[in-house]
Amino acid sequence: MSGGLFLQSLILGVLLGGLYALMAAGLTLYFGVMRVVMIAHAAFLVLAGYLAWFFTTRTGLDPILSLAVTVPAFFVLGVGIRRLLITRLKPATMTMMSVLLTFALALVIEGLLGFTFTGVQRRIRTGYSSANFEIFGAQVAVVKLIAFVLAVVALGSLWFVLKKTSLGQALRATIQHREAAELVGIDTDKVAGYGFGIGLATAAVGGTALALDATIYPSLHWHWIGPMMAIIVVGGLGSIPGAAMAAMALGIIHAFLQVPLGATWAQTVFYVALFGTLMVRPQGFFGGRLAQRF
Amino acid sequence: MTTEDTSSLAAESLSKSFGGVRAVDDATVRFVPGKINAIIGPNGSGKTTFLNCVTGMIRPDSGRVSLRGKEITRASPDRIVRLGLGRSFQACRIFPRMTVTENLLVPVRNRSVRTLLGKAHDDATVRRAQLWLQRLGIDHLHGVEARDLSFGQQKLLELGGVLMSEPEIVILDEPAGGVNPSLIRWISALIQELNAEGRTFVVVEHNMELVMTLSDHVVVFDRGRPIASGTPAEVQADPRVLEAYLGV
Amino acid sequence: MPNDSDLADASAQGASRPWPIPRLLGTGTLGALAILVLSFPFLTDTGYLLSTGVFILNYALMATGWNFVGGFTGYISLGHAAYWGLGAYATAIMITRLDMPWYLALVTSAAAVAVIAVPVGIAALRVRGASFVIVTIAFVMILLLVFQSWAGVTGGSSGLMVPRAFDVLRTQHHQIFFYLYAAALALTLLVWWAIDRSRFGMGLKAIREDEDKARALGVPTYASKLVVFVLSAFFTGLAGGLYALWFGDLDPVFQFSILMGAYMVLMALLGGIRELFGPVLGALVVGVSVEYFKSEFGDTQFHLVATGLLLALVVLFMPEGLIPWLRGLFQRFGPRASSIREVSAGELAEQVEREHAVDEPGSRS
Repeated sequence: MSGGLFLQSLILGVLLGGLYALMAAGLTLYFGVMRVVMIAHAAFLVLAGYLAWFFTTRTGLDPILSLAVTVPAFFVLGVGIRRLLITRLKPATMTMMSVLLTFALALVIEGLLGFTFTGVQRRIRTGYSSANFEIFGAQVAVVKLIAFVLAVVALGSLWFVLKKTSLGQALRATIQHREAAELVGIDTDKVAGYGFGIGLATAAVGGTALALDATIYPSLHWHWIGPMMAIIVVGGLGSIPGAAMAAMALGIIHAFLQVPLGATWAQTVFYVALFGTLMVRPQGFFGGRLAQRF
Repeated sequence: MTTEDTSSLAAESLSKSFGGVRAVDDATVRFVPGKINAIIGPNGSGKTTFLNCVTGMIRPDSGRVSLRGKEITRASPDRIVRLGLGRSFQACRIFPRMTVTENLLVPVRNRSVRTLLGKAHDDATVRRAQLWLQRLGIDHLHGVEARDLSFGQQKLLELGGVLMSEPEIVILDEPAGGVNPSLIRWISALIQELNAEGRTFVVVEHNMELVMTLSDHVVVFDRGRPIASGTPAEVQADPRVLEAYLGV
Repeated sequence: MPNDSDLADASAQGASRPWPIPRLLGTGTLGALAILVLSFPFLTDTGYLLSTGVFILNYALMATGWNFVGGFTGYISLGHAAYWGLGAYATAIMITRLDMPWYLALVTSAAAVAVIAVPVGIAALRVRGASFVIVTIAFVMILLLVFQSWAGVTGGSSGLMVPRAFDVLRTQHHQIFFYLYAAALALTLLVWWAIDRSRFGMGLKAIREDEDKARALGVPTYASKLVVFVLSAFFTGLAGGLYALWFGDLDPVFQFSILMGAYMVLMALLGGIRELFGPVLGALVVGVSVEYFKSEFGDTQFHLVATGLLLALVVLFMPEGLIPWLRGLFQRFGPRASSIREVSAGELAEQVEREHAVDEPGSRS
């Protein structure tokens, strides 16, 4: 592998890894506050991508501006989904049934997208869509960098909220020990709702970032389900930094394998990582025993 | 090493850490065969973790466990049961959606293919279950789903499940926890009766009165290891035990 | 002695008289339904209806196969299309490349699927709950990738044609496969029933309730789960093999589709995973709906929405399934019949009275 190609792959890996990390953060939030494995997260990414595309084709404005609408809307949607759907599940079978329920949600979203926007592949066109810039001899698309910056900004805001605000403190307490959080007077029900909303809001950012760089179509979310599942099992869903790190690592490895193996076979890295983790360390590498038990 | 007692359960230098915390720390315990052994100790002294290591539910970091002279340290929980070591759980655990009788039909010590493929409700087994239920005093509830039982009844049912697996050694994790005084007396009498028939008991219990009247041999745990053992009277007189309970 | 008030509160529910009528009624209904199913090909010679019938039997076989894992152990597999697809492709490849007779190819491929399921089960059954579901999805996704890319053997994205096993007219072809599927379904139901009443089955159901507790009572949980996992793969693979022979045209996107796995879950949950005939009933409902949607709305994205909505509704409002719900209705509004569990309670009471003077328990031999 030549130096330029190496650097190219590394940069691509880091840029993609940023998106994976954002996705991992969202998944960990849902799991943390509700013990819910949100299979529909990828479908919401695609939904956000479609909304960004729709926004741009209708208004001619930059797709990033659509975040002003989609982020709050997704937050409210997240709160609503938890309140109206997730809380109806029995606690004993919550994790298993939540997979089915959110899977059903993913099917509905995919179906509605196909119904509304047809199955035609869509692509956002902006002034900088085809622009590239060169760094140390590596060609990098501007949109990839913008997507990465979006992911970093979202992760940074998430970090700020969790570490520096009282809501964040309540969230972390709820994630770590729900009963203890209740004992010190935290309204864990409300906090879990916010956690769910924030998780879905990250999907709005991630989906918009995704749509900047890729063609979107309704069944695209299945393509993301592999990375997502690898993140859940390998990362272990125990902590946001842990899951994000695992996601970043997988993104970089994926980018490197893409050159010799091609896109399709490189995709198998996620499944290899997943099955390898199960054989070696079923509880995941970052998450303690949580993911194994639920 | 002295000669192994072939009917006993023993743990040697057992250790288990969670993260940085040593829940069980180099614990060596010999249980007296044919007697009612008790394990006592303050909360968080590692009693339940110790039992989980002994019964194979948790893999210890180091040390060994032997049953009748045979090493069982790395054996799976189900194998340990089939070797004759049964246990109950601290939080009473039964199969809520099964009937009382079905709860007792789950344990199978014989693993031949013929037995496994045979009818679960076969006459001999159902009769055996029925007799245990009679002995526990809950036979009139045989057709009720276990989730509809009161807590005390569930406690008895759990004991019945353990007894159905025909253990030579029975480990009970807090048999009197959350149970009313009259039922405690009933369970206590039952344990003595079953012990008189030749079963060894290991009872983890917080109820001191019960421990002192019921047990023949007491092991006191503190900070993950036994600090004293002997008859109830000996243990009560031991200054280390008082220290552990009252704190320093 | 425990006082009476402590023990007596649930006794009222346990005492009830045995009621033999439902059992007879059940056997009679079962026989009538079987006759109805078997005579279906004679009642119609419309190719479309016949092929719908075969489709529904295929669904029923898949869902019943799925229910070996889902029903007994409570482990929900969303990726069971993997075994269906593998069975189909294995049968097709054995016929086209190895020139095997169809029946040999069918049985060999189902066995091959079972063998493949062993390592997959060993890996997947190490985790529980959501992680298990995820692993099953991952497996079907891998297979989709492999079967699309490995064109030399699988025909890749352009698919694989299977030559007709029988040189007959279309209608007769459907009829033959209707009976082949019905026979396979009967066999599968028989095995499920046999496990359900066995000690092995009791251990499995204990796993569904509380896996750690089952282990602590001596149930070899890991081995038990693996056995039903492999059986499940076998019967689902058998459905796939029959499908290859019947339909004659395989496409990786259809054979290894997550949606097909979701159908299996939906059908089993809808009917009731604790019930022998739950998945069959679910397959009937889902199969008829799918066909109706296809004929009414054509090939739109609507079927995704409908499947998703139905799955969500079942998960939220009827996780026990239709059969227990119907039984509940029957009990409330029907004659004063008793439920199965009360019947067995009554029977037991009688039996105990008969054998009252048996020796004490615990006299260990």
